[in-house]
Amino acid sequence: MAETHDENPTLSEEDDHRAVYIFNPRAGHHTSLPQEKTARPVKKRRVGSTRAWSASAADHAGVAPHAEEETETTTTAAAAFSQLFGGKESLEAAGLRRQVFDTAWPVLDGRIKNVLREANRTTLEDVSSFIRDAEGDATRGTRIPAGFIITGPNIASQDLLFEQLSEALGKATQARFVRLRAAGAPNLKAALKKVIRDATAQVSLDGGDGDEDTEVALGRDGRKYLDYDLEGLHAFFGVQQDSSRRVVVAFEDSEAFESSLLTDLLGLFHSWQGRIQFSVLFGIATSVELFQARLLKSTARQLFGAKFDVVQADLVLDNVFKSAIAGTQATLRLGPTLLRSLLDRQRDQVAGIRVFISSIKYAYMCHFYANPLSVLLADEKSLTRQLLQPEHIQAVRTLDSFKAHVEAAVDARQLNHAQLLVEDDGYLVRQMVEQRQKKQDYLMQLLRSLHLLTSMDLVPGRFTDLYVAALAGGLDLTPTIDGIKRLGADDVPALINRLLTAIRTGSPDLDLPGWEDEAEELISSLCEIRDEIEALAEQAQEKGQQALKSKFTAQSKVLRTTVIAQKVQLSQDTAKLTDEDKAFGKAIDALVDLLTHHIYSDPVDSLFLHEAWAYDAEAPYRDVFVPRPGTTFERALTRPHAYLGCECCSKTNGTLSATLPTTCVLYRLYLETGSLVNVADLWSAYYALVGEDSEDGGLGEREALVQFYHGLAELRLMGFVKSSKKKADHVAKVKWLL
Amino acid sequence: MPPRRKSTDQHDLVERPSRKRPLPADPYEVPDEDDAVPSAKRQRRQPEDGGTPSKRNATPRKQVDFLQRDLASVPEEPESPTEQTPSKKRIGRPPKAKTGGTPSGKPSTPSALRKKQVDETPIKLKGISGVDTPGRRGIADRSARRKSARALIDRVLEGAVSDDEDEEQQIAREIYESSEEEEEGDTQQENLADQEAELAATTPSKTGRGRGRGGRPPGLARRKKSPTPPRDLPPHEQYFYQNKPGSNKTSNNTLSSLDLLIHEEYFSLLRNLGQDPHEKHIDALQSQHAASFPQWAFELSQGFSVCLYGYGSKRRLLHQFAEYLFSSSGGNDTNNTTIIMINGHTRTLTFREILTTISAAIDPTFRLPSGNPLAMIQNLFTLLSSFAQKPRITLLLASLDSPFSPLRKPQTQSLLAHLSSHPAISLACTVDTPDFPLLWDSSLRSSFNFAFHDCTTFADHSKELDVVDEVHELLGRMGKRAGGKEGVAFVLRSLPENARKLFGLIVGEVLVAFEDGGGGGGGTSGAGDFAAGGEGPGVEYRMLYNKAVEEFICSSEMAFRTLLKEFHDHQIITSHKDSIGTEYLSLPFRKEELESILEELMS
Repeated sequence: MAETHDENPTLSEEDDHRAVYIFNPRAGHHTSLPQEKTARPVKKRRVGSTRAWSASAADHAGVAPHAEEETETTTTAAAAFSQLFGGKESLEAAGLRRQVFDTAWPVLDGRIKNVLREANRTTLEDVSSFIRDAEGDATRGTRIPAGFIITGPNIASQDLLFEQLSEALGKATQARFVRLRAAGAPNLKAALKKVIRDATAQVSLDGGDGDEDTEVALGRDGRKYLDYDLEGLHAFFGVQQDSSRRVVVAFEDSEAFESSLLTDLLGLFHSWQGRIQFSVLFGIATSVELFQARLLKSTARQLFGAKFDVVQADLVLDNVFKSAIAGTQATLRLGPTLLRSLLDRQRDQVAGIRVFISSIKYAYMCHFYANPLSVLLADEKSLTRQLLQPEHIQAVRTLDSFKAHVEAAVDARQLNHAQLLVEDDGYLVRQMVEQRQKKQDYLMQLLRSLHLLTSMDLVPGRFTDLYVAALAGGLDLTPTIDGIKRLGADDVPALINRLLTAIRTGSPDLDLPGWEDEAEELISSLCEIRDEIEALAEQAQEKGQQALKSKFTAQSKVLRTTVIAQKVQLSQDTAKLTDEDKAFGKAIDALVDLLTHHIYSDPVDSLFLHEAWAYDAEAPYRDVFVPRPGTTFERALTRPHAYLGCECCSKTNGTLSATLPTTCVLYRLYLETGSLVNVADLWSAYYALVGEDSEDGGLGEREALVQFYHGLAELRLMGFVKSSKKKADHVAKVKWLL
Repeated sequence: MPPRRKSTDQHDLVERPSRKRPLPADPYEVPDEDDAVPSAKRQRRQPEDGGTPSKRNATPRKQVDFLQRDLASVPEEPESPTEQTPSKKRIGRPPKAKTGGTPSGKPSTPSALRKKQVDETPIKLKGISGVDTPGRRGIADRSARRKSARALIDRVLEGAVSDDEDEEQQIAREIYESSEEEEEGDTQQENLADQEAELAATTPSKTGRGRGRGGRPPGLARRKKSPTPPRDLPPHEQYFYQNKPGSNKTSNNTLSSLDLLIHEEYFSLLRNLGQDPHEKHIDALQSQHAASFPQWAFELSQGFSVCLYGYGSKRRLLHQFAEYLFSSSGGNDTNNTTIIMINGHTRTLTFREILTTISAAIDPTFRLPSGNPLAMIQNLFTLLSSFAQKPRITLLLASLDSPFSPLRKPQTQSLLAHLSSHPAISLACTVDTPDFPLLWDSSLRSSFNFAFHDCTTFADHSKELDVVDEVHELLGRMGKRAGGKEGVAFVLRSLPENARKLFGLIVGEVLVAFEDGGGGGGGTSGAGDFAAGGEGPGVEYRMLYNKAVEEFICSSEMAFRTLLKEFHDHQIITSHKDSIGTEYLSLPFRKEELESILEELMS
C-alpha cells in the first residue's frame, strides 16, 4: 500500500491540499498559490464560457435559448442512459427510455406539487387574511397578532408548510418573513440577529443588486447599528421607505424554544410594536393550551391570537398517493411490496412527505434506467418495430409472466397460441402490442372498482391500504357484501345513488373521468333495482308495515341478542317476512350480484408483461434511502473478502490472520477490548500476529509499526477510538454498536 | 511477554465451553468461569457444596466460589479461607460474621490476589488481544478434566453405551489425557501464588501498591476480576458490561520501550514497504464502483444528492467521478457545467471559501460580498437566477463528516443543505464514519434529498490523513504541541521572564534526570526509560517548586501553578502521578531537543 500508484495522473498531491477548487483536468496544474486559487477560474472562464453565458443572460429574448436548450436536452437524453443488454441495446432504445422517463415524471411531479399546494391552501389563506386583518382590528390594541398553527408532530412536513407560508405571506401582505428554529436561535441575541438579518436580506432577493444589503447596518444618516439592535431594522425600513414595516416571525418548532427566550422576544416585539409591525406565528406540535402554560401570563396577554389547523400529514399522504401512485396519470405502477414498505416507513419513521415523493421518483428512475423493457411504455408513434431488438424479444421470453402466460395457454388447450408465442417473434410482438390495451383495461377496471368500493362508504380502512391489497391479491366485493346486505330499505337507494354519481363524475383525485357511456348497462340495472326497492317501500308503507326487512337485516338484528334467542327469533323472523320483504331481499341479492360482477380486479402480477409497467423491487429503495452504514462497515472490517474477493482472506474464515488488511486486524482486536484500550498491548498483539516471529507475517518491527500507525489512524478517522487521558498510552473505545 | 499464536487458541476458547456444559442464564457469569485470574488456591479452599444445586450441575466450583465471595453474607464463607490458610488465621482477627460481613480472611486474600494480578499483567494483555493464557486455559481444562473424569467413571459404572454417548466418552477421555501435562505447570503457579499471598499477608506495607491502584473495598475489587468480556454478548450488553464502574482493567504497559515513528521514518518505510497484497483486489473493487458512475450522474441530474459511504478512502473514486462528469458533459468550456471539488478533510476549509469559489465559477467578474453565509447563499442564488440558461454546478465534497473540518458543524450542514436544494446545484459527497446519518435530522435530510450508495473501497486514507500526527495526537503524545523546539521557543518568547526561567529550570532538571539513567522517580509507571519520541523522565513537582522558590521565580505555590498552567496549555509539559500520588512533571521532548532548547534559553 506504499505509494498509491494512481493511474490517473490528474489526481495529484497538490489537489489534496487545496480545500476547494474548480475541477478542470485540461487546464493542467497551476501552482496553487492562494491568490491564484480564485484568480485561475477567472482566466479560464474569460476564455470560454463568459461569452456564451453572459450573451444568453443579456441578449437572448426567450426564443433562441429555448431552442438551444431543447436540442441540448435531446442530445444529452440520448446519451444519458447507458445501454443495457450488456451494451447491445441500441442507442435509440436507450434514448427512448430516457424520453419516456422525461415525459412521465414531470406530469406526475406537477400533480404532486399541485396536491401539496392545495393541501395547505386553506390554512395559508386563513393565516394571511388573519395577519392582514389584524392590523385594522380595533380590539387588538397594541397586542401582537399571533397565529398558532397546529402542525402535528411531523417536522419534516412542517418545513414545506412554512416555506409556503413565507411565500404566501410575502405575496399577500408584503411582509418580511423570518423563520426561526430553536437550533438556530439559542439565545436572545442570536434570535434578534437572525430576525434582523433575514428581514433585511430578503430585499436583496428581489432587489437584484447584491450590493444593497451590505448597507444594512447603516441608517439613513450613515449611523451604524449593532446587528442585534432593532433600531437598525427600524432605520432600514426608513431607508427602504417601506411604509408597511411588517415583519412576520415564525417560530417553527415552538416547543423547542426556551420559554424565557420566548418571553423576552415577545416583550421586545411588543415594545417595538408602534414602529415595526411584528406578527408572530407559532408552529405547535402539541396543543395551544400546553404552549400557553409555558408562557408567563403577562406575555400571553401581549398576544392577539388565532388558531389554525393544518391538514395532517396522513391526509396529504393519501392525496399524494391517489394522484401520483394510483391515479391514471401514473405511467408506472409501483408494486405492492414496494408500496407497503414505503407506507410503513412513512408511518413508522415519520419520514416526511418529501422523502415519500423522492422515493416514488427514485422508483421511476430505477425502472426506466435499468429495465430495458420499460421501452414498451413509450407511445405507439415512437415505439417502432425496428426499435425492438432480438434482445428485447429474448428478454420478454425469459419473464415469469411470459412463462405463466404460455402455461396458461397450454392448460387452456390453446396450443397453437402457445407455440407461436415461443417461436414466432412477429406474433409475440403483436401480442405485446395487444397487451398495452389489456393493461389499460386492467387499470381502468382496477381504479373504477376501487372508486366504487370507496364511494359506497362501507369499507373501513384507508384508500392506500385498499389499493395495495388490490394490487397484491386482487379485489372483489367480499369485504362489503355483509355491509350491503345489512342496509335498510332507505339506505339502499342512497347507496345506489352514490354509486351512480361515482360513475358519472369519476374521481378527480385519481384523475379518473366518469364512465357513464361505457357503463350504461350497469347504470340501468342499478336504476332498476333502486326503483324497485323504492316501489316496494311504498307498497309496504301503504300496507301499514313499518319498514322493509330482508332476511339479512333480520338476522343482523338477532345477532345482537343472545345466542339462544338467535335460533328462536331467526325462525320467527323468516316466518314473519312479508311478500314485500321477500322481494326486497331478492332485490338486494340482485344488487350484490350486479356489483360482484362489476367490482373485481386481479393481482397485478397475474398479467402478461406486467414487468414492463410495474415496478416492485424493494431492495434498491432500501439501499438508497435507508442505508445501514453500521452493517456495511462491520462487514467490510470483519469479512474483507466479502468485498475484496481475495483468496488469502477468505480462507481465514472468521479468525485473525496476518493477510487481513491492517485496519481489519485492529478492528478485530478492538472488538475484544474493554472501554479503555492499551495501545501498547494492542501493538504487541498486532506485532505478534504479523511480526517476524509469526508463521505467516514476517514484517520487520518498524514496517509493522508503520502499518499499525496506519490502522490506528484509520480507526480514529472512522470514529472508533478517541484519545483518553485516563492512563498513559491508552485510548478510549467509542463504539459498541455498529 | 508476546502473546501466543492466536488462531488456534481462540478456537479452543470459543469451542470449549459450548461443548462441556450449557451456558448459564446470566451472561455476566461466564467470564468468572474462564477467568484470567487463576486463583487455584481459592478453588482448593472452597468446599464443593457451596453453590445452589442447579449451579453445581451446570458450572464448576470455581464460579460458585466467586459468587459467594461477592455476597459477604453467605454464612460459610469466612470459614473456608481461614481453615486452609493457617498463616492468615494467625494474623487476622477472629471471624466476626456480623460486622459488615467482612470475614477475617478478607483483608489478606484480596490483596494477595490483587498482587498476583499485578504480577501477571501480561495475561491481561491477552484480554485485549483475545488470546487465552496458559493459566486460564489450564483452569478451564482442569475443570473440564474433572468433569470428564467423572463422566468416565459414570460410564464405567453404568456400562451402557450408545452411539452418541460413545462419542462423548471419546471427548471426555481426550480431555482427561490432554490436561495431564498442564497440571504440573499449574501446581507450580499455585505454589507461587501461595507464597505471594503469605508474603502479602505478613507484610502489610507491601500491599500499598495494590490498594492504591484499586482503592475500593474488597468486595468491589473482587467483582471486577474479569478483563475479558463474556463472549457473544449483544453489543448493547457489552457496552454496559464494559462500562460498569471499575470494570476497566488494562495493563500498565506503555509504548515507552518502542521508538515511536517520526514523519521522515514513516515515509521512508512506507516507500520501501512495497505493494499491498490486496492492491489488485482493491483496484477491482474500485472499477466496480466506477461502473455506476452513469447512474450517479443520472441521480445528480434528477435533483438527488449522492452520498457515498463505506470503509476506505473514496478520494480516488470521487476524482474519477469528477473526470467522468467532466468528460460526459462535453468537457469543453462552452458547456455550462462546472465541477467544484471540495476536500472536507482540510482543516482550514471554510464555508465561505466554498461559496466564493462557486460564485467565481459562475461568473468570475462577480464579487460575492462577504457577509454571513446565509446572505451569501442568497446572493449566490440571485446570481444564479440572473442567467437565462441556468449554469449547472456540481459540488463534489470529499469527507463531509470529517471530524477535523468545520463542515461537520450543524450550522454548516444546514447551510449545505440549503445550498444543495437549489435546482442548479447538485452535491455528491463521501463520508467516512459509520454514524454519519446522525448528522442530519429528518428535515435536513429531506432537503438534502440523499441517495446513499455503499462504496466500500478499502483504499487507504494515506492522502487524507497525516498518519503520524494522528496517532500521536490520539496517544496524547506531542499532539498539538507547538511544533517541536521552534514552537517552544516561540511560546516562551511570548511569556514573561519568570516563566522562561522556570522552563529553563525544568529543562535543566529533566536533563539531569536523563543523566541519572532515567530514574528520576518516574520509573514506577515505566515512563522512566529512555524514550526517544516518548515521554522523558519526570521531575518531582515538590522538588521543582522548592527550587523555583529558591531561585526567586515565584513566591507562592499559587504563582507556581499559574506558570505551569501556561506550559500545560501549550502542551510543552506533561504531568502524571505515580501510584503513591507523587506528581511528576516531564517534557515531551527527546534529550537532544531538550539540550538545544536549554542552549537557546541560556543564550
